[in-house]
Amino acid sequence: MAIRSEPAAAAPPVRAGRRELAPGRLALVMNLPTLLTMALVLAYPIGYAAWLSFHRVGPAQLRRGEFPWAGFDNYVRLFDDPLFLLSLRNTFVFVAIVVVVEIVLAVAIGLLINQQRVWTSRITRVLILLPYAIPPIANGLIWSFLYSFQFGFLNRILFTFGLIEEPVNWAGHPETALYAVTVPYIWRTLPFAVLLVHAALQGIGTELHEAAAVDGATAWQRFRHITLPLLLPIIVVILVLRTSFAFTVFEEIRAITQGGPGDATWVAAWYSYKKAFEPPNDIGLGAASAWVLALIVGALAIVYVKTIYRRIH
Amino acid sequence: MLAPSPLGRVLLHLSNLLVIAFLLLPIAAVTLGALQAEKTLQADTRALLPPEWTLDNFRVILSGGEQRGAIFEQVTYLPDNVKKIRFAFTNSTVIALSVTVLTLAMGALSAWTIARLRYRWTRWLVNASLLARFVPVITLMIPLYVAFRQLGLLNSVVGVIVALTGFLLPYAILILAPYFDQIPKELEDSARIDGCSRFGAFWRVSLPLAAPGLASCGALVFIISWNELLIPLILVNKAEFMTVPVVINSLVGDVHVFFNLMMAICLLALLPSVILVLLLQKFVVAGLQVGGLKG
Repeated sequence: MAIRSEPAAAAPPVRAGRRELAPGRLALVMNLPTLLTMALVLAYPIGYAAWLSFHRVGPAQLRRGEFPWAGFDNYVRLFDDPLFLLSLRNTFVFVAIVVVVEIVLAVAIGLLINQQRVWTSRITRVLILLPYAIPPIANGLIWSFLYSFQFGFLNRILFTFGLIEEPVNWAGHPETALYAVTVPYIWRTLPFAVLLVHAALQGIGTELHEAAAVDGATAWQRFRHITLPLLLPIIVVILVLRTSFAFTVFEEIRAITQGGPGDATWVAAWYSYKKAFEPPNDIGLGAASAWVLALIVGALAIVYVKTIYRRIH
Repeated sequence: MLAPSPLGRVLLHLSNLLVIAFLLLPIAAVTLGALQAEKTLQADTRALLPPEWTLDNFRVILSGGEQRGAIFEQVTYLPDNVKKIRFAFTNSTVIALSVTVLTLAMGALSAWTIARLRYRWTRWLVNASLLARFVPVITLMIPLYVAFRQLGLLNSVVGVIVALTGFLLPYAILILAPYFDQIPKELEDSARIDGCSRFGAFWRVSLPLAAPGLASCGALVFIISWNELLIPLILVNKAEFMTVPVVINSLVGDVHVFFNLMMAICLLALLPSVILVLLLQKFVVAGLQVGGLKG
């Protein structure tokens, strides 16, 4: 879209005697509901969150309606808290696993559902959308049922195929819990990445592949030297988008491990939620930690808008 | 695409079966869990299929705890949230539908001005929407909680609708603006020559032509607002105002509630959005690919 300061075309003649709003004013009136709502629900809270993070806000202050100035106290306490640093570390590990696995799976499944002559690919193409519709909290609860040590379905399946002798406590071990929660999250968010890859694949013509095949290139060589380079832009898009959204994972943690066992699966959004909304309701500290999270994601967002989005549109 | 060799074809079928099994694994688990009793689940912890099937879990939920059926005869404790789950389904429906209508209405007005009137500040609105999409919900919820508490807007369906609409408007703008942009401008011009006002050209010409874009956007907005947990969780704490995800959340870790009952609630909760996705598949795919929404 090109930027123009004037309406694109000169106004065609308007029936005599009829008055209408100037385009500038019309634009303002038509945007008024959006601007008001976005100011109320997006712009103001972001600013207010920053303000709160520099004040002492707890249950007593909420009752009185007065928030004393705290300077950088909340941020100092935040970075002195080993639990916050652990939450950040866990978040980074979680994001790294999720994004790498999703990109690999998205390319593989994208290629798979792009096979027009394989009828099972058509079934996959329909079902791939399914996880997108599942409420994240229900997804978490279903997987905690799957993972259940006593009577979980995952253990039942593995027993049936004779793969395990004793039940495995998938989400209950501190060493494996963080990996266990990546799987449900990957399951739920995979459709988006697959659809982007699939859309990109449909834009790649068959001529290059046919020419390379005539020249004796193997399927792997064609993928490596034709498909993959052409997919690179969309892979970068998925990388940035999935990274920034995975940073805010909440529901699957809440449903499956609640941060446990111990503090093995505390992540950034869980930390903010627990600090702000569970006793002793340290809302100032919660706001500070949520702002740190917003800054990390915001940095990625700016990279996305400045470089990648411009180039696609 | 080149035709795969016979061996390649077999490998492709096998890969598809693997992916399909992975996709259906949680769906199978939730269905099997919802259709049996706690007792059969515990009796044999290794069998895949239960010896007996029952609809009692659904009976209890849908009757609000009135009809207990065979499984729940002995059960004296049932959480208040489960008894009042009918409120939750009503609230979720009212909230998701209102948010969809409001977001589509406001989003279409804004998106058309972005595509057609083209001022520097409407262009800026696109960038603001792009950035807004990245704002973590948890960062918004802490200040919204404090503000809504002071305004007395906690425990109100209207409060949740306003918050969700504001949160989803950027998504609507990002899907609808490119859609209006690709509708030929000449159609509006000829309507203007016939005496239509600018707004009339939008209302009578472009808006009807944008119906597929509106369907894409509406389906996604409905699904996201039906599924959203954090916004209603933080703004609501009374059973009468809870949405379905909030009720599900309240059951997590409640040792007195059977997994089977929870699976039945989860199954009922995921049905509306799953049906919508399967019915409007084409539109959902288009919306996701254009808007690059959250996954």
